[in-house]
Parts: sequence; structure tokens; C-alpha cells
Amino acid sequence: MHETGIGKTPVLELQNIKMQFGGITAVENFSLDIKAGEVVALVGDNGAGKSTLIKIISGVYQPTAGVLKVSGEQCTFSDASVARELGVEVVYQDLALVDQQPVYMNLFLGRELTTGPFNRLDRKEMLSQTQQLVDELDVRIPSASATIRDLSGGQRQGIAIARATHWAKKLILLDEPTAALGVAETAKVEKTIQSLRERNLAVLIISHSLDQVFRLSDRICVLRQGKQIGIRETQKTDKNEIVSMITGLG
Amino acid sequence: MDQLTQLATRINFKQYVVYIGFLLIFLFFAIVLKDDGFLSTRNLTNIILQTAPITIMAIGLVFVLSAGEIDLSFGSIVAVSALVAAVVMNEHSMILGILAGLGSGLAIGLFNGLLVAYLRLPSFLVTLATMGLFAGVARMLTDLRSVPVLNSTFTGIFGSGSLFGIPSLIYWTVGAVALGHFVFRETKYGAHVLALGDNARAASVSGIKILRMRLSVLMLSGFCAALAGLLYAGRLQGARYTLGEADLMTVIAAVIVGGTLLTGGKGTIIGALAGSLLMGMLNNGLILMGLSVSDQMVVRGFIILIAVALSLRDTNH
Amino acid sequence: MKIKKLLITTMLSTLLVSGANAQTTGPNGEMATPSSTVTVPEAEIAKLKAGNYTAALLWHEQSDFVNAINAGAKDEFERLGIKVVATASAGFDAAKQRSDIETALIKNPSIILALPLDPVTSAAAFKEAVEMGVKLVFLSNVPKDYQHKSDYAAIVTDDLFSMGKQAADVLAQAIGNKGKVGFIYHDADYYVTNQRDNAFKTTIAKDYKEIEIVSQQGISDPARAEDIANAMLLKNPDLNGIYVTWAGPAEGVLAALRANGNKHTKIVTLDLSEPVALDMVRGANVVGIVADEAYELGRVMAATGARSLVGLENPAFITVPAVTVTADNVAEGWQRSLHRDAPKSVLNK
Repeated sequence: MHETGIGKTPVLELQNIKMQFGGITAVENFSLDIKAGEVVALVGDNGAGKSTLIKIISGVYQPTAGVLKVSGEQCTFSDASVARELGVEVVYQDLALVDQQPVYMNLFLGRELTTGPFNRLDRKEMLSQTQQLVDELDVRIPSASATIRDLSGGQRQGIAIARATHWAKKLILLDEPTAALGVAETAKVEKTIQSLRERNLAVLIISHSLDQVFRLSDRICVLRQGKQIGIRETQKTDKNEIVSMITGLG
Repeated sequence: MDQLTQLATRINFKQYVVYIGFLLIFLFFAIVLKDDGFLSTRNLTNIILQTAPITIMAIGLVFVLSAGEIDLSFGSIVAVSALVAAVVMNEHSMILGILAGLGSGLAIGLFNGLLVAYLRLPSFLVTLATMGLFAGVARMLTDLRSVPVLNSTFTGIFGSGSLFGIPSLIYWTVGAVALGHFVFRETKYGAHVLALGDNARAASVSGIKILRMRLSVLMLSGFCAALAGLLYAGRLQGARYTLGEADLMTVIAAVIVGGTLLTGGKGTIIGALAGSLLMGMLNNGLILMGLSVSDQMVVRGFIILIAVALSLRDTNH
Repeated sequence: MKIKKLLITTMLSTLLVSGANAQTTGPNGEMATPSSTVTVPEAEIAKLKAGNYTAALLWHEQSDFVNAINAGAKDEFERLGIKVVATASAGFDAAKQRSDIETALIKNPSIILALPLDPVTSAAAFKEAVEMGVKLVFLSNVPKDYQHKSDYAAIVTDDLFSMGKQAADVLAQAIGNKGKVGFIYHDADYYVTNQRDNAFKTTIAKDYKEIEIVSQQGISDPARAEDIANAMLLKNPDLNGIYVTWAGPAEGVLAALRANGNKHTKIVTLDLSEPVALDMVRGANVVGIVADEAYELGRVMAATGARSLVGLENPAFITVPAVTVTADNVAEGWQRSLHRDAPKSVLNK
């Protein structure tokens, strides 16, 4: 096993990733390392290739060429479950929550805990673990047994992030985590994302909001028309530079 | 907080509509028909016996609907499996007959499931087609002739027998409901069915094998229908191509009134049992009241309409 | 006109006379007894009224036909002071019929009138009623291995053979006893329609040597009648007449004739229907409709049940005559068959 502290082996390495659909190249020669405890933002216009990259990292697509390493070991994400087993979790833009089920069942969706000789669902244990987690992450919901449909957008987003946090051993991908939220709720969710750093998780976030990217990230990676334009340390760049990288103007 | 309590009461009320309706209608018949034997043990037992196959089909349908699919073909499966069981039993043995009957239900369910899960055809259309297809098969099997079931062990176990003074159909009903409820409520499988019917994408990205789940619920429905077919064959001491044909609407009504959503993601086995008994009680009570057949249909239709309206109202708030 | 009417009346009375040895036989080959001979003697009515008897009517389906039977039975029961305590329709579902019987038995009826849906499954279904000593009167069918007297009071049915025969007679007469006819029969294993269809065919072959059935076509789905008639007329444009197994498909056949502008092919069919009767009273293609006396079926079923209650013997197999309805006797034909007025459109042609 490798160490996963800051400055050590990156939890995720992408080397010269290329993705083609028929004759169309969606992503070419993309390389990126993400270390534990680091937040990297992926920015670019619509169609720049961000979603394709997310799908490659989460195991939905297999890249046409290139190398993908988790904690230094090369691997093939043949489907989403392999990525999950290796500790990569995704918070999808649509959240992938089951509306008519309680929070705790969503947290354990597909990985429910069971007990006893008949493998009964261990609702009590799932409930208590969920309650503990949402308390730690400060996701304010009436109760871990509340039904998802009765929650606000911010609360749902919080649950989706909490779920990823619970299961991610290495990396969390966040796809537009606040696109549908109001100002106050956005602030709340951003606070939750900040707290992931303290859990020593790597975070890759896709966002259209540059303000948000500057508030949250350690580094910013810019894509344009499938090409990797560059990676900047957030501290050492400014919005103008990033905007011109995104648009290719100026 | 006030709003929350309001919400809670509303949800609870909707959840319990079928039980409240059941009680109200029961009380109504108990009062109106108190001199007509409605409350007699024999009559109440009759209602449970008469609804046993309906209840068992309803259990299968709860799984299918909760998974966001539908099965319209189970009525035809009832006839096919009852006939197959009867023919095989008469020619070979009881055990083979039972296995053949249940096997044909599973096989038709598998056929439905493969078309739905792997050819990605909508279950409504697939089972609409197979409903007709297997109704035809049921007619072809014995060339429209009814097949007597003379094996008294079989008719005892599946139809008219009793153990410790309790009719066998009551054991079937209780056993199937208990098992169905356990699987639906207490196992991963049940949780995955609900997740699939609620949000197939979420289920899929959470690692649930949604194609396999779709296949399995349709097979389960086929199995339940086949079991219902065996119960009919036992009860009527014979099998006939029309068995189950008229049950489609009754079973759907029982399941929906019971609180299972047609749109998936929410279901209840106990509710389906209550819905099924409600349907049986309505049939029974309205006949005992001496109403004409047309009046019976109108009253039954109205009561189902009210029950469905109350249990579905506002679900999309 | 008068001659025609006379002819029909003569024809009918001949049939009634020969009714006792008509060729409709019971499911077990029983000889038929005409329903007119089965009544409740005046002397027994008081006894019946005093007995507080009850009856349940457990039909197989709902239709015009069943409604008329139901009305006939109810009226007769009322006259005899027997209370109808339950009515049900099984919708052709053998399992529902079993449930209906169980439910009705809760009210301890003295008599059950029913059409057993099929001999095999109804044997178990009616068993409890037999054991309770309920007087059973069956319509058209009998549960397997049931014995007259010990298990049931009687079977009552239409004189199915007469229906087919009268259809042949009225068609033959309309085309001058010679020519080519088409035969559209019910292609299913169904006792009632099979008997009627065969009777038509037999009668043409036996009694009308100069009439030839040149085209035969089975039908299982009434909705396809129009296509079938079109094909038949395409091959045989000079058909003098067509027999259609019952009124539903006959409507489709009429549509085909109208679409072809065909006014010379005569149609005969069975069972009353407003559109078919309308065509007939307008003097178009339909020359006759043969119907059963459904109301009388109900009456005689009730009477048979009542007779058993007071210990009178019943014949095993009772038939009810058929009535040939033509443009001239539409009003009374409707009354005799269904015991109600013919539709206004038909009466005010």
C-alpha cells in the first residue's frame, strides 16, 4: 500500500488520456495528478470535454488511449463498480438520489448493510451511521429517516456529498454541485466541500462559477474543445487568465 | 414544525387509506347485512379463500410496479400454468405437474423479462402482446377443453383441504404475504426494486444491476401468477383457459388501492393484501345485499374510484 | 303480405307441434320437453307463498339475452311468492362463478338458477349447493356427472336446432327455395352456436335440394365479419343469400353489402339486434332474424325450481321455442323474445 499524504504519491494520475467517439476526438492528451487533501477544479465551456473526463474517471467510459493510476497503480475501470471499489465516488449533477426513500437508504444505496441469518436490512445501523455522518458534515436535515423528496435542494446536495464522503476512500468527483442552489445553500455546500479536505480526500470539482472555483480549489485545470489548455495554482493566477484560457481570446 | 406535522399526518392518512376504507366498508356491510350472514365465520372465510389467488398475483405485481415496470400478462400465465399443471399431473405425477405449472410461469416471466430488460422494450407493450399471445397458447394447449384435476392430494393442498381446521388457501395467503413482505421490506432485493422504480439511473450508478432486476421482477410476477393458477386448479378441481383472464383489473385495483404507485418506487405488500380483501369483500357484500349485477358494478367502480383518488391524491406535490 | 304471415305462422305451429321430438337434445342426449308444458299448478301457488322460499340467480355473463332471462325468472318468482335474494354475473370466469355460488349460499337460497360455465370446473363449484339440498335449475349446460333429480331439477335451453332450422326456412322462402347461399359460421368449440349453425346446414341439405351452399367461412372474431363477407362476395357475386351465425357479425356483413351496393343478397341471422332489424324493416337485405324466447327461458327455469320445491317431478331437459322475426312481426317478435318493446327506430321504420 502507498502512503496517501499530501506531497506523496497522487491518489489519481491521468496520463495522456485520449477519448474518441467514432471519428470525433472528445478529449486528447489529458494529464492530471490529484493528491489527497487537494481540491482541483476542472473548468471549460460546454462541450470542452469535462463530462467525458468525469465518465472516464468514474468508469463509465474506457479511454481510447492513456494510463489511469490509482495510488500509483495502473488500473482499468471496466465499469462504475470497479471505480467505486478503488475508492472513487461521484456526486452527479442530478444527484442520483432515490426520492421516495429515506436519507439513510440513499446513503447506503446499492451497499445496504444487513444483519442476521436472513440478511435482513440493518436499518438501525444504517440510520445511526447516517445520523452520525450528517452531523459531522453539518448537513442540516430534520432526521436521517426523512424522505428525500421532502428535503430542499441544498439538503439533497448535502446528502449526495455525504454519501460520496462516506464511501470514498480516495477521490470524490463533484459535477456542478451548486448549479441549482440559492446563495445561502451554495455557501453551505461549499463549507461541506471544504471539510472534505480535512478528511484527506482528493476532490475534483467541475463548476461553471469561477468565483466558486477560486473559493474552493487549490489548482485549476482548463479544457477547451477537448484539449488541455493548462493547469494553474489558484493562488498564483487570476480570473482574467482563466477566462482567457477558457475562451482562447485575449 | 407545524408544517412538518401537517405533512406527516397527510402522508400517514394516505398510507392508511386502504385500511380505513377496509374498516369502513366492513362496518357498513356488518351493519347492513347483519341478518344476512355477512359476519358469519363461513362467509368471512369465503372472502379470504376467494381472494387467495388475487392476493398472490397482487404480491407479484407490487414488485413489478415498484420496479417501475408493469405486467399485463399475468392473467394469461394463470391459465397456461393451471392447464400445464393439470395435463402433466394427469399424465405423470402430482410433483411433476406442480413443477411444470410453476416452471411455465417462470418461463413466460423470463420471456417477458428478456424482452424488457435486454431488448429494452417497454414492459407495457411487451406484456400487452404476451397477454394476448399466451391467452392464445392457453386456448391451443387443450383446444379449449377444460382439464379435470382428480388428484385429491393436489386439490387438498392447493384448494379445498384444511389443516388443524384452517383451510389450506389461508395458509397460502398468509405464507405468501409474509414471505413477500419480508423480501420487499427487509432485504436488499426489495430495497433495490424500489430504488430501480424510483430512479433507474441512480440505482444503476449505485451498482445495482438494473437489467437483472427488471428480468427478475417479471419472473417473480410470472411465478406468482403460476402459483395462483395452481390454487385455481385446486379450488375448481380443474383447469380452464379462461382462468385468470378476468383478474387483471381486480389485481391492479387491489394493488393501487393498497398504496402501490403505478409510477414505481413505492409499494406495500400488506396494503395489497388489504386491497385484495377489500375487492373480495365488495364482491361478496354487494351480492349479499341483493343488488342487480349492473348496480354491483357501478357501486364497486365508485368505491374503487374513491379509494384510488384518496390514496393517490397529491402524490406529486 | 298476409300470405307470408300465414305461412310463417303455419311454419311455427308445425314446429311447436313437433317440438316434443325436435332434434335438440340435452348434453347427455336427453329428449326435449317443450317449455309450454312446464308450469306451476294453481293449487301449489299458495303452498309456495307460505313457504318463505328464496332464490339466487347466478348468471354466466351480462347481456340482453341474460337480462330477458333474468326478467322472466324474477317475474315468475314474484308471482309465486319466492324472494330473489342474490343476483350475480361471473363474466365467463369459472373461478368467479365458484365464488358467486359460495357467496349466495350464505343466504341459504331454496333455488339456484345458473348457467354452469363448463362441465368440468362447475362440478366442484356446485357441489356444496347440492349437498345443502338447494334446488338447481341449469341453463344450457350441466356439471359433469351430475344426476337428474338427485343433483339438479332440470336443464333448460333454447331449442337450438329449431333456431338454425327456422333460419334456413325463412331464407329459403325469401329466395324462392333455390339458388346459391353463403354460410358464415362460428369457428369455435361452443355448444350453442355449433348446434344452431349445424341445424341450418342440415336443414338446407335435407329440405331444400335446389339450394346449394357454395361458400363457407368460419368466424371467430366478429370484428372481421366485414372482411370475410367482402371476400365471399368477391368470389361469388351472385349469392342469393347468406346465413350469419349471430347478429354481431351480421352487422359487419351488412356493412360489406352496403359498401358494394348489393341489394340482391338476402341475409338471415340469429338473435335480435337493432341495426339488423332496422335493415330488415326498411326492406333491404335482411329477410329474417331468428331469436330465442329468452324471457320464457327465465320463466320456465323459475317454474321448474318451484315445482321441485313442492315435490313435483320435472322433465330432465326442457327446451324453449324459437321465434322467427320478420318485417311483419317485429313488434310481437321482440315481445316474445325479450319481453319488451322493440326499439323505436325499428317500430317507426
